[in-house]
Amino acid sequence: MNWAETIVQALKDWDTSLIAYVPDISIDRVTSLIEADPFFHLVSASREEEAIGIAVGGYAVGRNAAVFMQSSGFGNSVNALASLCIPARTPIPLFINLRGGPGEFNIAQVAMGRSTRPILDLLGLVHFTLEDEYKMDRIVDGALKLCHSNRQPVAICMTQLLHGGKIA
Amino acid sequence: MLRFDATKLIVSLAGDRAIVANLGPSTDELWHAGHRDKNFYTYGSMGLCSSIALGMAVSTDEQIISLDGDGSLLMNMGTIATIGREQPRNLIVVVWDNEEWGQTGHQPSHTAKGTDLAKVAESCSIPHTATVSDLEELASVFRTALEEEGPWFIVAKIEEAGYMPVAPIEPELTIYRMRDSFMGQ
Repeated sequence: MNWAETIVQALKDWDTSLIAYVPDISIDRVTSLIEADPFFHLVSASREEEAIGIAVGGYAVGRNAAVFMQSSGFGNSVNALASLCIPARTPIPLFINLRGGPGEFNIAQVAMGRSTRPILDLLGLVHFTLEDEYKMDRIVDGALKLCHSNRQPVAICMTQLLHGGKIA
Repeated sequence: MLRFDATKLIVSLAGDRAIVANLGPSTDELWHAGHRDKNFYTYGSMGLCSSIALGMAVSTDEQIISLDGDGSLLMNMGTIATIGREQPRNLIVVVWDNEEWGQTGHQPSHTAKGTDLAKVAESCSIPHTATVSDLEELASVFRTALEEEGPWFIVAKIEEAGYMPVAPIEPELTIYRMRDSFMGQ
Protein backbone atom coordinates (compact mmCIF):
# COMPACT_ATOMS: atom_id res chain seq x y z
CA MET A 1 0.00 0.00 0.00
CA ASN A 2 1.15 3.56 -0.64
CA TRP A 3 0.89 6.25 2.03
CA ALA A 4 -2.57 7.36 0.94
CA GLU A 5 -3.95 3.81 0.95
CA THR A 6 -2.36 3.21 4.35
CA ILE A 7 -4.28 6.14 5.84
CA VAL A 8 -7.55 4.98 4.28
CA GLN A 9 -7.03 1.49 5.70
CA ALA A 10 -6.29 2.85 9.19
CA LEU A 11 -9.44 4.96 9.12
CA LYS A 12 -11.45 1.87 8.21
CA ASP A 13 -9.74 -0.22 10.88
CA TRP A 14 -10.85 2.38 13.44
CA ASP A 15 -14.34 2.59 11.97
CA THR A 16 -13.85 6.28 11.18
CA SER A 17 -16.33 6.98 8.43
CA LEU A 18 -17.14 10.70 8.72
CA ILE A 19 -14.39 12.83 7.19
CA ALA A 20 -14.58 16.63 7.18
CA TYR A 21 -11.96 18.49 5.22
CA VAL A 22 -10.82 21.57 3.42
CA PRO A 23 -9.27 20.57 0.09
CA ASP A 24 -5.48 20.49 -0.27
CA ILE A 25 -3.59 19.40 -3.36
CA SER A 26 -0.85 17.53 -1.51
CA ILE A 27 -3.23 15.24 0.37
CA ASP A 28 -5.78 15.02 -2.41
CA ARG A 29 -4.53 11.49 -3.05
CA VAL A 30 -6.09 10.47 0.27
CA THR A 31 -9.25 12.51 0.14
CA SER A 32 -9.91 11.37 -3.45
CA LEU A 33 -9.76 7.75 -2.29
CA ILE A 34 -12.11 8.63 0.57
CA GLU A 35 -14.54 10.38 -1.73
CA ALA A 36 -14.68 7.38 -4.05
CA ASP A 37 -15.22 4.86 -1.24
CA PRO A 38 -18.81 4.32 -0.07
CA PHE A 39 -17.56 3.44 3.42
CA PHE A 40 -16.97 7.14 4.00
CA HIS A 41 -19.06 10.29 4.08
CA LEU A 42 -16.78 13.15 3.02
CA VAL A 43 -17.99 16.63 3.96
CA SER A 44 -16.33 19.57 2.24
CA ALA A 45 -16.17 22.38 4.80
CA SER A 46 -15.65 26.05 4.04
CA ARG A 47 -13.08 26.50 6.80
CA GLU A 48 -11.11 24.22 9.07
CA GLU A 49 -12.77 25.16 12.36
CA GLU A 50 -16.07 24.30 10.74
CA ALA A 51 -14.64 20.90 9.83
CA ILE A 52 -13.77 20.36 13.50
CA GLY A 53 -17.34 21.20 14.51
CA ILE A 54 -18.77 18.78 11.94
CA ALA A 55 -16.47 16.00 13.17
CA VAL A 56 -17.44 16.60 16.80
CA GLY A 57 -21.10 16.47 15.83
CA GLY A 58 -20.60 13.09 14.20
CA TYR A 59 -18.78 11.77 17.25
CA ALA A 60 -21.56 13.08 19.51
CA VAL A 61 -24.06 10.75 17.87
CA GLY A 62 -21.77 7.73 17.82
CA ARG A 63 -19.82 7.99 14.58
CA ASN A 64 -16.04 8.25 14.57
CA ALA A 65 -14.78 11.21 12.57
CA ALA A 66 -11.51 12.68 11.32
CA VAL A 67 -10.43 15.98 9.78
CA PHE A 68 -8.04 16.69 6.89
CA MET A 69 -6.46 20.10 6.44
CA GLN A 70 -3.28 21.99 5.64
CA SER A 71 -1.12 23.62 8.34
CA SER A 72 -2.42 27.06 7.36
CA GLY A 73 -5.89 25.79 8.14
CA PHE A 74 -4.69 24.41 11.45
CA GLY A 75 -4.23 28.06 12.38
CA ASN A 76 -7.91 28.59 11.59
CA SER A 77 -8.96 25.74 13.85
CA VAL A 78 -7.08 26.39 17.09
CA ASN A 79 -10.02 27.79 19.05
CA ALA A 80 -12.24 24.92 17.99
CA LEU A 81 -9.66 22.49 19.34
CA ALA A 82 -9.02 24.47 22.52
CA SER A 83 -12.61 25.28 23.47
CA LEU A 84 -14.50 22.29 22.08
CA CYS A 85 -12.39 19.19 21.47
CA ILE A 86 -10.12 19.45 24.49
CA PRO A 87 -12.68 20.27 27.20
CA ALA A 88 -15.19 17.79 25.73
CA ARG A 89 -12.47 15.14 25.29
CA THR A 90 -13.27 14.22 21.70
CA PRO A 91 -10.94 11.82 19.89
CA ILE A 92 -10.74 13.51 16.50
CA PRO A 93 -7.65 12.57 14.43
CA LEU A 94 -6.27 15.52 12.49
CA PHE A 95 -4.42 14.78 9.25
CA ILE A 96 -2.39 17.87 8.48
CA ASN A 97 -0.32 18.64 5.40
CA LEU A 98 2.63 20.30 7.11
CA ARG A 99 3.99 23.19 5.06
CA GLY A 100 7.16 25.14 5.71
CA GLY A 101 9.65 22.28 5.61
CA PRO A 102 12.28 21.22 3.06
CA GLY A 103 11.09 22.11 -0.42
CA GLU A 104 8.72 24.88 0.64
CA PHE A 105 8.47 27.47 -2.12
CA ASN A 106 6.09 29.99 -0.51
CA ILE A 107 7.27 32.38 2.21
CA ALA A 108 3.66 32.88 3.30
CA GLN A 109 3.41 29.22 4.32
CA VAL A 110 6.54 29.06 6.44
CA ALA A 111 5.54 30.71 9.73
CA MET A 112 2.24 28.87 10.21
CA GLY A 113 3.73 25.62 8.98
CA ARG A 114 6.64 25.83 11.37
CA SER A 115 4.46 26.89 14.33
CA THR A 116 1.91 24.10 13.91
CA ARG A 117 3.73 21.53 16.05
CA PRO A 118 4.74 24.03 18.79
CA ILE A 119 1.07 25.10 19.03
CA LEU A 120 0.01 21.44 19.28
CA ASP A 121 2.54 21.07 22.10
CA LEU A 122 1.16 24.13 23.89
CA LEU A 123 -2.34 22.67 23.60
CA GLY A 124 -1.07 19.40 25.05
CA LEU A 125 -2.06 17.48 21.92
CA VAL A 126 0.03 14.53 20.77
CA HIS A 127 1.38 14.68 17.23
CA PHE A 128 3.36 12.46 14.90
CA THR A 129 5.24 13.52 11.79
CA LEU A 130 5.44 11.34 8.70
CA GLU A 131 8.39 11.93 6.38
CA ASP A 132 8.30 8.59 4.58
CA GLU A 133 6.31 5.36 4.45
CA TYR A 134 8.66 3.43 6.75
CA LYS A 135 6.59 1.99 9.65
CA MET A 136 3.84 4.33 8.60
CA ASP A 137 1.07 1.75 9.00
CA ARG A 138 2.10 1.15 12.61
CA ILE A 139 2.44 4.86 13.35
CA VAL A 140 -0.97 5.78 11.94
CA ASP A 141 -2.70 2.79 13.53
CA GLY A 142 -0.99 3.55 16.84
CA ALA A 143 -1.89 7.24 16.61
CA LEU A 144 -5.56 6.39 16.14
CA LYS A 145 -5.45 3.97 19.07
CA LEU A 146 -3.86 6.64 21.27
CA CYS A 147 -6.41 9.19 20.05
CA HIS A 148 -9.28 7.02 21.31
CA SER A 149 -7.64 5.81 24.51
CA ASN A 150 -6.72 9.39 25.49
CA ARG A 151 -10.01 10.80 24.17
CA GLN A 152 -8.25 13.83 22.72
CA PRO A 153 -7.37 14.89 19.18
CA VAL A 154 -4.11 13.53 17.76
CA ALA A 155 -2.36 15.20 14.84
CA ILE A 156 -0.66 13.27 12.05
CA CYS A 157 1.54 15.75 10.23
CA MET A 158 2.38 14.78 6.65
CA THR A 159 5.38 16.48 5.11
CA GLN A 160 6.44 17.18 1.59
CA LEU A 161 8.97 14.37 1.96
CA LEU A 162 6.08 11.94 2.36
CA HIS A 163 3.62 13.12 -0.24
CA GLY A 164 5.75 15.01 -2.74
CA GLY A 165 4.51 18.47 -1.90
CA LYS A 166 2.41 21.07 -3.56
CA ILE A 167 2.61 21.49 -7.29
CA ALA A 168 4.03 25.01 -7.58
CA MET B 1 -40.61 37.25 21.68
CA LEU B 2 -38.25 36.34 24.50
CA ARG B 3 -35.63 33.68 23.78
CA PHE B 4 -36.47 31.72 26.93
CA ASP B 5 -40.15 31.49 26.01
CA ALA B 6 -39.16 30.46 22.49
CA THR B 7 -36.69 27.90 23.84
CA LYS B 8 -39.35 26.37 26.08
CA LEU B 9 -41.65 26.18 23.05
CA ILE B 10 -38.99 24.37 20.98
CA VAL B 11 -38.26 21.93 23.80
CA SER B 12 -41.97 21.23 24.27
CA LEU B 13 -42.33 20.37 20.56
CA ALA B 14 -38.97 18.61 20.07
CA GLY B 15 -39.90 15.31 21.70
CA ASP B 16 -36.82 13.12 21.92
CA ARG B 17 -34.90 14.91 19.16
CA ALA B 18 -31.36 16.15 19.81
CA ILE B 19 -30.92 19.89 20.32
CA VAL B 20 -27.58 21.72 19.98
CA ALA B 21 -27.36 25.15 21.62
CA ASN B 22 -25.10 28.07 20.89
CA LEU B 23 -22.77 29.19 23.67
CA GLY B 24 -23.90 31.65 26.34
CA PRO B 25 -27.57 32.47 26.92
CA SER B 26 -28.83 29.94 24.34
CA THR B 27 -27.12 27.14 26.24
CA ASP B 28 -28.10 28.53 29.66
CA GLU B 29 -31.74 28.88 28.68
CA LEU B 30 -31.88 25.42 27.09
CA TRP B 31 -30.64 24.05 30.40
CA HIS B 32 -33.22 26.03 32.38
CA ALA B 33 -35.96 25.00 29.95
CA GLY B 34 -35.35 21.45 31.17
CA HIS B 35 -32.28 19.28 30.93
CA ARG B 36 -32.39 16.28 28.61
CA ASP B 37 -29.55 13.94 27.69
CA LYS B 38 -30.09 14.89 24.07
CA ASN B 39 -29.26 18.54 24.80
CA PHE B 40 -25.82 19.44 23.48
CA TYR B 41 -24.66 22.53 25.34
CA THR B 42 -21.70 24.49 24.02
CA TYR B 43 -19.43 26.59 26.19
CA GLY B 44 -16.91 27.90 23.65
CA SER B 45 -16.14 27.39 19.94
CA MET B 46 -18.28 30.39 19.00
CA GLY B 47 -19.77 29.92 15.56
CA LEU B 48 -19.76 26.13 15.49
CA CYS B 49 -23.23 25.35 16.86
CA SER B 50 -24.81 24.62 13.47
CA SER B 51 -21.61 22.92 12.24
CA ILE B 52 -21.89 20.47 15.15
CA ALA B 53 -25.57 19.97 14.33
CA LEU B 54 -24.65 19.34 10.68
CA GLY B 55 -22.12 16.69 11.70
CA MET B 56 -24.85 15.02 13.76
CA ALA B 57 -27.41 15.25 10.97
CA VAL B 58 -25.20 13.50 8.40
CA SER B 59 -24.47 10.76 10.94
CA THR B 60 -27.96 9.79 12.10
CA ASP B 61 -31.43 9.47 10.61
CA GLU B 62 -32.95 11.33 13.56
CA GLN B 63 -33.91 14.97 13.26
CA ILE B 64 -31.39 17.40 14.72
CA ILE B 65 -32.25 20.89 15.95
CA SER B 66 -29.66 23.69 16.15
CA LEU B 67 -30.38 26.75 18.30
CA ASP B 68 -27.83 29.19 16.92
CA GLY B 69 -27.38 32.95 17.30
CA ASP B 70 -26.99 35.76 14.78
CA GLY B 71 -23.60 36.96 16.07
CA SER B 72 -22.22 33.44 16.23
CA LEU B 73 -23.48 32.43 12.81
CA LEU B 74 -21.98 35.61 11.32
CA MET B 75 -18.64 34.28 12.54
CA ASN B 76 -19.05 31.06 10.54
CA MET B 77 -21.40 31.91 7.68
CA GLY B 78 -19.65 29.34 5.53
CA THR B 79 -21.45 26.63 7.44
CA ILE B 80 -24.74 27.85 5.93
CA ALA B 81 -23.21 27.11 2.52
CA THR B 82 -22.01 23.70 3.71
CA ILE B 83 -25.53 22.88 4.94
CA GLY B 84 -26.83 23.94 1.54
CA ARG B 85 -24.27 21.71 -0.15
CA GLU B 86 -24.97 18.69 2.06
CA GLN B 87 -28.79 19.10 2.08
CA PRO B 88 -29.37 17.13 5.29
CA ARG B 89 -33.09 16.41 5.26
CA ASN B 90 -33.11 15.96 9.04
CA LEU B 91 -31.59 19.30 10.09
CA ILE B 92 -33.55 22.24 11.49
CA VAL B 93 -31.55 25.39 12.21
CA VAL B 94 -33.22 28.01 14.37
CA VAL B 95 -31.33 31.30 14.67
CA TRP B 96 -32.11 33.40 17.73
CA ASP B 97 -31.67 36.81 16.09
CA ASN B 98 -31.52 39.63 18.64
CA GLU B 99 -29.63 41.83 16.15
CA GLU B 100 -26.88 42.40 18.68
CA TRP B 101 -23.93 40.88 20.51
CA GLY B 102 -25.82 40.68 23.76
CA GLN B 103 -23.09 39.28 25.96
CA THR B 104 -20.43 41.82 25.02
CA GLY B 105 -22.27 45.07 25.62
CA HIS B 106 -25.28 44.95 23.27
CA GLN B 107 -23.38 46.19 20.23
CA PRO B 108 -25.57 45.97 17.09
CA SER B 109 -24.80 42.96 14.92
CA HIS B 110 -24.84 42.94 11.13
CA THR B 111 -28.46 41.76 11.13
CA ALA B 112 -29.37 45.16 12.62
CA LYS B 113 -27.64 46.80 9.69
CA GLY B 114 -29.06 44.99 6.70
CA THR B 115 -27.85 41.38 6.73
CA ASP B 116 -30.76 38.96 6.26
CA LEU B 117 -29.62 35.49 7.32
CA ALA B 118 -32.74 33.83 5.89
CA LYS B 119 -31.88 35.25 2.48
CA VAL B 120 -28.31 34.05 2.91
CA ALA B 121 -29.66 30.57 3.60
CA GLU B 122 -31.97 30.77 0.61
CA SER B 123 -29.08 31.76 -1.63
CA CYS B 124 -27.13 28.78 -0.29
CA SER B 125 -29.82 26.41 -1.64
CA ILE B 126 -31.46 25.71 1.71
CA PRO B 127 -34.95 24.86 0.48
CA HIS B 128 -37.00 25.89 3.51
CA THR B 129 -36.36 29.27 5.11
CA ALA B 130 -38.57 31.46 7.27
CA THR B 131 -38.39 34.53 9.48
CA VAL B 132 -40.71 34.64 12.48
CA SER B 133 -41.24 37.28 15.13
CA ASP B 134 -43.69 35.84 17.62
CA LEU B 135 -44.34 32.55 19.41
CA GLU B 136 -47.38 31.64 17.33
CA GLU B 137 -45.46 31.98 14.07
CA LEU B 138 -42.51 30.08 15.49
CA ALA B 139 -44.75 27.25 16.68
CA SER B 140 -46.45 27.02 13.31
CA VAL B 141 -43.24 26.98 11.24
CA PHE B 142 -41.41 24.67 13.63
CA ARG B 143 -44.27 22.14 13.62
CA THR B 144 -44.13 22.15 9.82
CA ALA B 145 -40.33 21.70 9.94
CA LEU B 146 -40.76 18.63 12.13
CA GLU B 147 -43.15 17.14 9.59
CA GLU B 148 -41.51 18.08 6.28
CA GLU B 149 -38.05 17.20 5.05
CA GLY B 150 -35.40 19.86 5.40
CA PRO B 151 -32.95 21.31 5.73
CA TRP B 152 -34.85 24.10 7.45
CA PHE B 153 -33.48 27.50 8.39
CA ILE B 154 -35.71 29.57 10.67
CA VAL B 155 -34.69 33.05 11.77
CA ALA B 156 -36.53 33.90 14.99
CA LYS B 157 -36.41 37.57 15.87
CA ILE B 158 -36.11 37.87 19.64
CA GLU B 159 -35.82 40.57 22.26
CA GLU B 160 -32.96 40.43 24.71
CA ALA B 161 -34.02 40.09 28.35
CA GLY B 162 -32.15 39.58 31.60
CA TYR B 163 -29.77 36.67 31.60
CA MET B 164 -30.47 33.47 33.50
CA PRO B 165 -27.90 31.85 35.80
CA VAL B 166 -25.06 30.15 33.95
CA ALA B 167 -25.79 26.48 33.31
CA PRO B 168 -23.37 23.87 34.69
CA ILE B 169 -20.24 23.91 32.52
CA GLU B 170 -19.87 20.23 31.67
CA PRO B 171 -18.56 19.80 28.12
CA GLU B 172 -17.35 16.22 28.57
CA LEU B 173 -20.55 15.10 30.29
CA THR B 174 -22.57 16.83 27.60
CA ILE B 175 -21.05 14.99 24.66
CA TYR B 176 -20.80 11.57 26.28
CA ARG B 177 -24.38 11.75 27.61
CA MET B 178 -25.55 12.43 24.08
CA ARG B 179 -23.29 9.79 22.54
CA ASP B 180 -24.54 7.20 25.01
CA SER B 181 -28.14 8.13 24.24
CA PHE B 182 -27.52 7.43 20.54
CA MET B 183 -25.31 4.36 20.90
CA GLY B 184 -27.53 2.73 23.50
CA GLN B 185 -30.36 2.43 20.99
